[in-house]
Amino acid sequence: MVALMRLLIFGLIALTVLYLAISWYSRSVRRRKMERDWEEAGRPGDRNTYIETGMAQYEQSLRKRLIWLVYIVPVVTVVVIIYLTNFM
Amino acid sequence: MVYVKWVFWGLFWTGVIAFLHYTLPQHDVVRITDTYEKRVNPGDNSLFWSNADTGADPTATERDVFFIQTFRANDKPMIYRNEDTGWGWPPYFKFDTSNLQAEASDMMSKKSAENAQWVVVRHYGWRNEFFSIYPNAVSIWPVAGPDVQIIPWVKIVILLLLAASAWAIRVRWRRFWNGREKQGDTEWGVGRG
Repeated sequence: MVALMRLLIFGLIALTVLYLAISWYSRSVRRRKMERDWEEAGRPGDRNTYIETGMAQYEQSLRKRLIWLVYIVPVVTVVVIIYLTNFM
Repeated sequence: MVYVKWVFWGLFWTGVIAFLHYTLPQHDVVRITDTYEKRVNPGDNSLFWSNADTGADPTATERDVFFIQTFRANDKPMIYRNEDTGWGWPPYFKFDTSNLQAEASDMMSKKSAENAQWVVVRHYGWRNEFFSIYPNAVSIWPVAGPDVQIIPWVKIVILLLLAASAWAIRVRWRRFWNGREKQGDTEWGVGRG
């Protein structure tokens, strides 16, 4: 049981670090894209408003929710391995 | 001086390949002849034994280990151990050691038997007589004969993923350093200018 706790705790820490890193990277890429989009669209209106609207859209988007896969994929993989190794 | 670099990278890749060869699953087609249990006290070679404390006392080094004796198609013996890996490394999450031992016992067949029962043993690890280390059998299933072709899907997938990520890292490494050289080195000049 102790080994399971160890795996869960270290796994949680490692996956959370990975999730945060990917989150920040994704958000910074999105912000740069917004800045470029504003330039390319002919600078319509206030720069900051444009960017913040774009970022608000990002917060609701599928792309952001896909980052949760960082938690889901390893857990599903482990469960599949346990089933295949022990129950087949 | 360039020899140092070669030696370093040579050792690095040898280590990586050895690690992968030990940890990734392999398949052998063998004929099981005996299963037994022996008391083992891993000392210098304890790295190659699993003490996955699935319910037992994790501090005890002396314990009974299941073994499976087999013969390969070329009539050479191969002995596997059969131990839990539990929640530890390598991540096989093997808990059904006793079940596996029962299944192996059920499929024994001696040389003199009319119809030898051939089985595939999925295992990881190395057999080395000098260090007394044995590969760990993970699963066993019967097959028609010693000539069956086993395609190692898991190994293929894992090696492809590793190669893809190594290539991805290498590409970004190159891109980063090429970018830096083009911009030139100003004091604070790291960034998009």
